[in-house]
Amino acid sequence: MKQFFLFTFLFFTYSICAQQGISQVKFNVTVDEKPLELGKSYELLENEDSITFDVLRFYISDLQFIHNEEVVNKSKKKHILIDLEKPESLQIAINEYAGNFDKIRFTFGIDSLTNVSGAMGGDLDPTNGMYWTWQSGYINFKLEGRAKKCPARKNEFTFHLGGYQAPNLVAQQVELNINKAEKGFEITLPIDKLLSQINLTDTYRIMSPNHEAVEMSHLISSMFLVENL
Amino acid sequence: MNKKLYILFVVGFFCTAFYGSKFGFLDFPEHFPIVVYNLEKNPLTQEKINLGRALFYDPILSKDGTISCASCHSPYNGFAHTDHELSHGINDQIGTRNAPPLFNLAWQKSFNWDGAINHLDMQALAPLNDAREMGETTDSVIVKLQNSALYPSLFMAAFRDSIVTGQHFLQALAAFELTLISANAKYDKVKKGTEEFTIQEFNGYDLFQKNCNSCHTEPLFSSYELANNGLPIDTTLNDYGKGQITGVKADSLLFKIPSLRNLKFTHPYMHDGRFKRLNEVLNHYTKGIQHNKTLSEKFKNPIVLSSNEKTDLIAFLLTLNDSEFVFNPDNKYPRDILSNAK
Ligand code: HEC
Ligand code: HEC
Repeated sequence: MKQFFLFTFLFFTYSICAQQGISQVKFNVTVDEKPLELGKSYELLENEDSITFDVLRFYISDLQFIHNEEVVNKSKKKHILIDLEKPESLQIAINEYAGNFDKIRFTFGIDSLTNVSGAMGGDLDPTNGMYWTWQSGYINFKLEGRAKKCPARKNEFTFHLGGYQAPNLVAQQVELNINKAEKGFEITLPIDKLLSQINLTDTYRIMSPNHEAVEMSHLISSMFLVENL
Repeated sequence: MNKKLYILFVVGFFCTAFYGSKFGFLDFPEHFPIVVYNLEKNPLTQEKINLGRALFYDPILSKDGTISCASCHSPYNGFAHTDHELSHGINDQIGTRNAPPLFNLAWQKSFNWDGAINHLDMQALAPLNDAREMGETTDSVIVKLQNSALYPSLFMAAFRDSIVTGQHFLQALAAFELTLISANAKYDKVKKGTEEFTIQEFNGYDLFQKNCNSCHTEPLFSSYELANNGLPIDTTLNDYGKGQITGVKADSLLFKIPSLRNLKFTHPYMHDGRFKRLNEVLNHYTKGIQHNKTLSEKFKNPIVLSSNEKTDLIAFLLTLNDSEFVFNPDNKYPRDILSNAK
């Protein structure tokens, strides 16, 4: 009988711990603090413009949980393609984890070594539309859409950010402090904030590794936020 | 101490023996350096090579089904495109560069004339997606292959997976291209001690080492670096090579140094096919070098060659022609695979 109690006790503590552990990190991309819908026309006050987003995809690599400057957990996959057309891609699977952590770290983009390592599959397969063809290299971030003020053909803006060779190293490290994670947290990229910081009348096309791509990538990487639930 | 060294030596020996045997059936030539291509990420098997060979010769890869890789890279021309200065793509469109020969690609560090491609696997994406070459998109090719009667079973045999992916498609093409090895020219036989140079060829070899070997380094006959060899710019093309890709001034007019093997089969020469004969090439090096900011410093002292010396040098260059490679039936159109499917 004693043994039975011990067993049930252990079983319950185990299941409580398991419930508290996290096994995924959720990313959000928002406009006006609501989840972005592709193809919807937004009236953005700050831009005084109506803007539609058609494509948004980006890579996150080496997602890590940090506790006292030590890596305590990481994502299951090294490279993750987040594609707004595939809502499930916003949930990033991590190794089941119940311990403490105070920081999250990830690379926004694809590291240089991976860029020179030949054909790869899954999230890195070149058929995902995230690889240049006329020159080698992954596109770390792809945003395409339309804005009334954009002077390009069909008012389209196109941002393909990538580049793995100095001086145009586009991938950026992101570190986010996590304060109260007990109830869980999500990582948000408020994409309207990006558009409010660029002037679509003169910056509307970046399609190769260059200084502009580095700058914009830097800007985006500073916009990720942690939201406690 | 000596014992340790001895053990190190023995271990080293077994490692190299293992290294050699792993790619055994490919016969990487002994007098060549270690390959650049990472074969561990894409181990070669006969099934993968067969698949790659079928893909290379199959016009299914182009938008209108008229152009295959071999349309521009013909086996009889050392996989270059003889008689065409600039390559021809779908709808008879003319490209901006001469199709380079394809061989010894496992030793190459970067691809295309401007070095813009960093890995052999990824090279095929360029012609496939170029509107003037094959005019396709990678995704659409994958769909066509998946829906064909032939390919799912070939992918199954090569990758134990009949689902066609971009990765497997590119790895198979690369596998076939890696087997295109040219190492049986007269020069190679001289190195192996089975043949001898004539006096004229030997003089030419001497001149070659003095004037050319620093860039066209033996035994591959290229260092596969990029350089400016003083060609005046063709103002109808305005091709600045690597500079066009990076936008960096110091990269202006840098082009990949081509191998000098199989020149008999690969004319015309240079990135835009401007020279038809080797004589014209030598005249360029002796009196046509254009001095500008990025010209290689190897041309600081002008190259001087008498007309006898030019003849000798050309005699040596002709010892780099490898008919065994050019006429190797293993590299040709795979009739058994492709015609059964039709
Ligand atoms: C329309 C003609 C054309 C077709 C079709 C074509 N190529 Fe090429 N190929 C070229 C040209 C031109 C270059 C040089 C490109 C450059 O420098 O920008 C080249 C370069 C290459 C190189 C680089 C060689 C080196 O030494 O750097 C490889 C490898 C290659 N092609 C393989 C292929 C494969 C595989 C296919 C089929 C998927 C293919 N090509 C289809 C014309 C063609
Ligand atoms: C500074 C490095 C350098 C030196 C030295 C040099 N070359 Fe070149 N060579 C090149 C480059 C770079 C190209 C390609 C240029 C282009 O197409 O724009 C080339 C192209 C060639 C080609 C054309 C090959 C083809 O397939 O199109 C031949 C032939 C050639 N060189 C022969 C020679 C000979 C012979 C010598 C010695 C007299 C020599 N080169 C010295 C760099 C060099």
